[in-house]
Amino acid sequence: MSLTETFALAFLFGGSAFFLAGTIGLLRFPDVYCRLHALAKADNTGLCLICAGLAILASDWQVAAILAMIWLIGLLASTVSAHLIARHAYLSGQKPVEARKEP
Amino acid sequence: MGLMLDIVIVASLIGLSFQSLYARSLFRCILHFVVFGLAMSLVWARLNTPDLAMAEAAIGAGVTGALTMVAFRRLMAISPAQNQSRPSNRSRLALPIALGAGGLVALLGLAVLEAEPVAGLAGMAVMEALPSTGLQNPVTAVLLSFRGYDTLLEISVLLAALLASQAVTQLDDPDPSILTEQPDTPLVGALLAMIVPLSVLVSVHLLKAGSLGTGGAFQAGAVMAGCGVILALSGRLTSSAQPSLLINLGLSIGILSFIGIGLVPLLYGQPLLALPDVWAVYLLESTMMISIALILLLLFTGSISIRRSDG
Repeated sequence: MSLTETFALAFLFGGSAFFLAGTIGLLRFPDVYCRLHALAKADNTGLCLICAGLAILASDWQVAAILAMIWLIGLLASTVSAHLIARHAYLSGQKPVEARKEP
Repeated sequence: MGLMLDIVIVASLIGLSFQSLYARSLFRCILHFVVFGLAMSLVWARLNTPDLAMAEAAIGAGVTGALTMVAFRRLMAISPAQNQSRPSNRSRLALPIALGAGGLVALLGLAVLEAEPVAGLAGMAVMEALPSTGLQNPVTAVLLSFRGYDTLLEISVLLAALLASQAVTQLDDPDPSILTEQPDTPLVGALLAMIVPLSVLVSVHLLKAGSLGTGGAFQAGAVMAGCGVILALSGRLTSSAQPSLLINLGLSIGILSFIGIGLVPLLYGQPLLALPDVWAVYLLESTMMISIALILLLLFTGSISIRRSDG
């Protein structure tokens, strides 16, 4: 395995780890705000890392530019949709879960 | 590696189809069905059919998802208890039929693996006759040059579906429930300012790419309809009960131009639907894209017509 492939593999595995963390957060976190927080942040980083890994593997500027575009559009869509879902939940009266008081 | 991926996709397809039938609530069933469409487009991509993969992702997952969601919303407005109602009990014949169908598919698969390629198949005939059409994408050539009849019927079916749905909708009451609440946030405007030009660009690119490679009127129309759905959801387009000439022309221009261009060859003693040249293909694809996009959008809004909302 060449050096570039090792780098790309590291990026891809890192991206998958972020996706896994985001998914676990989506399933385990207590309320809609925490879940959106986990999903929007972790998945965007994961998508960035995976696009970077694929761009390294492709080693072609055109493909890299398309992948960067995919990442940016994904960022835009997930930011706005997370904002809209959170806004709708807040306006329809869902209270965020209170932090547990430390004794 | 490829085999492992295939096994994962097939296993998730089976799981998703089970969930979309037997999930706890109707809403979950719909969500699983949308994800099923996405997984199905992966299957088409793995089978080296990018045209089908794109159509499945745009129509199967995207537009159908939006349509089932809006149908769910209207159903909830009529009878909220429907969400929890369990699907009807399984018939005793279900298991034998499923096993029989599975066995048949397995047998067919084995037969395909054993079969020798036969000379003179339709696919080879298409590849041989492809240069005579002036197109480079065999899929577009089949859809418009060789089997134009089928495509004409498809666009007629879409139009008939729209007319049927308009016949059963209550026309006097344009439904405001699909809109987001007012006043909307500045982020929506920013999103629209980027998404709308991009999706118009993508659909025109898909349209043009259809003659060379993956793409075509149906995918382009679905992308444009998706753009229209976003505009309708964010309140930029509202449903209107007044029929408008422009919208009606847009709805029917696909089938009208298809029939028009298809009839012309009869004057010169050529067969019906024999397209004269590549320009006819481009013209038909463009008009069909407009019609498909408008039909899908009006199916979504469930109204006679749409107009720009005031203010």
